[in-house]
This record gives sequence, structure tokens and C-alpha cells, in this order.
Amino acid sequence: MTHRHGPFTLAFCLAMLAAPAAVAAQEARLVGRLPDAQRTQVDAILVAARSAGLPTEPLVDRALEGAAKGAPPDLIVSAVLRLRGELDLARGAFGDTASAAELTAGASALRAGATPVDLARLRQLRPGQPLTVPAGVLADLASAGVPMAAGLDAVLAIAEDAADADYVAFRRNVERDIALGASPVAAVGVRLRAVSDALASTGGDRSVPRKRKP
Amino acid sequence: MERLIETLKEPVQLSPDFDARVLAAVERVAEDAHRTRSVTSIAGWLRGRTIRLSPLGASGLAAAIVAAVLIGSSIVDREAAPAPPRPAAAGDQVQMTQFVLVAPEARSVAVVGDFNDWNLSATPLVREAGDGMWWITLPLSPGRYRYAFVVDGTTWQSDPDAPAAEDEFGRPSSVVSIGGA
Repeated sequence: MTHRHGPFTLAFCLAMLAAPAAVAAQEARLVGRLPDAQRTQVDAILVAARSAGLPTEPLVDRALEGAAKGAPPDLIVSAVLRLRGELDLARGAFGDTASAAELTAGASALRAGATPVDLARLRQLRPGQPLTVPAGVLADLASAGVPMAAGLDAVLAIAEDAADADYVAFRRNVERDIALGASPVAAVGVRLRAVSDALASTGGDRSVPRKRKP
Repeated sequence: MERLIETLKEPVQLSPDFDARVLAAVERVAEDAHRTRSVTSIAGWLRGRTIRLSPLGASGLAAAIVAAVLIGSSIVDREAAPAPPRPAAAGDQVQMTQFVLVAPEARSVAVVGDFNDWNLSATPLVREAGDGMWWITLPLSPGRYRYAFVVDGTTWQSDPDAPAAEDEFGRPSSVVSIGGA
């Protein structure tokens, strides 16, 4: 037994099937927060990032941040596009198995002046350990006024032995010293000695600060 | 089959602009088709034809339509709903993270950031009784989050006790790193 259906029934069915797919291609959280033109551009960046295997959540977050701050929509698109490039570079340095959090922190470090080679060195020194906090601290030190070379030396020097908490304490101490008037380079040097000594005392000779290879 | 018909009869809650979105999607489909084949030729192909479907085929088609409508409506509903603080995924090493701002003159303080979709109304801070301290504690999964305080709904302020985030949008932000990933 068969039933006859007119061509418009078929057209309606096809349209109903196509509609959700079109809506699903959009990032729902951006609807109403960006003008349609720029939202379409951001959606295109997200699609490209997704197909390249990059995390899209940091990109959506950046767009939402710009929208919440009332930034010009074109500036938001530029910021998202720039971050997408940094995430790509960070993945190249950290490897394909890097988490979204690691890539986000790596992107911050790159923005602060680190190079992909620097990040790859960090990955090499901390095999199998999370990199979110060390890479983030590298970016944080730079934003506190520490020259990238000095901050990088410090972060790499303790990379093999320091736990995330060690990095956080190190960064807080350096920032406090700077706020109290110390020079950023001096603060990093003094605090690096302290954390290195602490690591050595708890882990034998595991932590020997290493100089950055040229 | 009867159950399917009853399901189809049930009203679906759609946002006011859903019709416009569907029509726009249909127009896009039509435009795409026009690139490879003229609309008139498609209409000509359809004209005078009938499509034969078995009961099983008709049921499958109807089920696909129901699924399409439900999926579409759920997406639209998500667009309209305010974003709550983003929940941590199962298995994440969640860390309770306290956000504090001393603002004695403030009438309200909220924290906005990567963890709540930068939603100004999602995460208000609590004022400590008899003091100018505002605070909230949030469970955060490992990651690096940009955030800021918004005082009295209008004034953006970075966290004086946290590293500054690079500012691309002309308003200050801070950053917090949660270890474990």
C-alpha cells in the first residue's frame, strides 16, 4: 500500500530538515550579542577552527567578552581571529594532545612575547605534566613587567620539578615584590632562588635550576 | 502511527522569531540550489510529479520532521535563556575559587568572565554584612579564565589581587589559572 504526496509536501519536509542544520551551524550564545554580519564572521572562524581540531570555547569566550565590554564588532572579530592563530601556534608547540586549557594559556604566553620554540621547550621539560599554570605564569609575569627573557628563564628553570602551586606562589611573590618597589628582574631572581631551594630541600637534587639554552 | 500523529499535533513552544529563522534558512537553501540549477527547472521537475511513500517511509519522514522541529526549537530556546555559571564537566578536578572585591560604596557587584559567558547578571557577589567586602566562591575546572568585576552594573574593574589580562577591548580584566590540566 502506498500513499501519494504532492511535491510541496516533499519541499516542506526538506525545508524542515534543513532549518535546524542551518541554525545549529551558528553559535547560539552569540545570537543577540553580536550584529548578524560580525556573528556570521565569528561563526565562520569557529567552523574553521573546529575542522582544524582546535578548541572553539576560548574563541566564543573572547567574542562574548568583547560583546559584554561593548567593543566595536569588527574589533571583536579581529580579536577572535587573532586568538585562533595563537591557539594554532600553541598547539604546534604543545602537541596535538594538549588540552583546551593548555592551549589557552599557551596563547596568552605567545601574546605576552614568548615564541613557539619557548613553549615547545616548556613541553619538553614537563613531559606528561599539565602546562596550563606554567604557561599562564609566564604570561602573568610579563604583564607584571618582568622581561620575557627573565620570566622564561625562571619558568623553565623549575619546570621539571615545580608543581602548579609552586608556580602560583612564585608568581604571587614576584608580583608582591614588584608592588613593593623591587625591580622585576631582581624580584624574579630572588624568588627563583627561594623556590629552587625549597624544591631541592623536598626533592633531593631533583631541582637544579637550568639556564635557558640559546 | 497514531502515537506519531498525536505527537505531531502537540504544540511546540517556539520563540517569536523562529518563523523568520526558518524562512531565512529556506531562502538560503533555495539560493544554494539556484547556484547549480535554476529554480524554474526545479519547479518544472516537481510539477506534475507525485512521490510515492510506503507507510514505513512516511513514518520515517514524519519522525524526521518531528525531530527537526524539536531540535530547532531547543536551539532557539537556548538562545533566549540567560547563561548560568558554566558547570564543571564530570571528572574535572574542580577547584573552589573565591572572588573578592572591597567596594564599600558599591550597591552591587558582579563577576563576569569566561566561566559564565560574560553574563552581567549571572554571578552577583554577596556583601559581607557590615563591611565593604563583596565575595563569591565558584567551582572552576582547570583552565585559564579571564574575568572582571562590574560595580553597580556599569563600572568595570579588574581584580586588584590578580594578574592583569591583556586588554583588547578597552576595559580592564584579570586572569586566574586553575591547575590540573
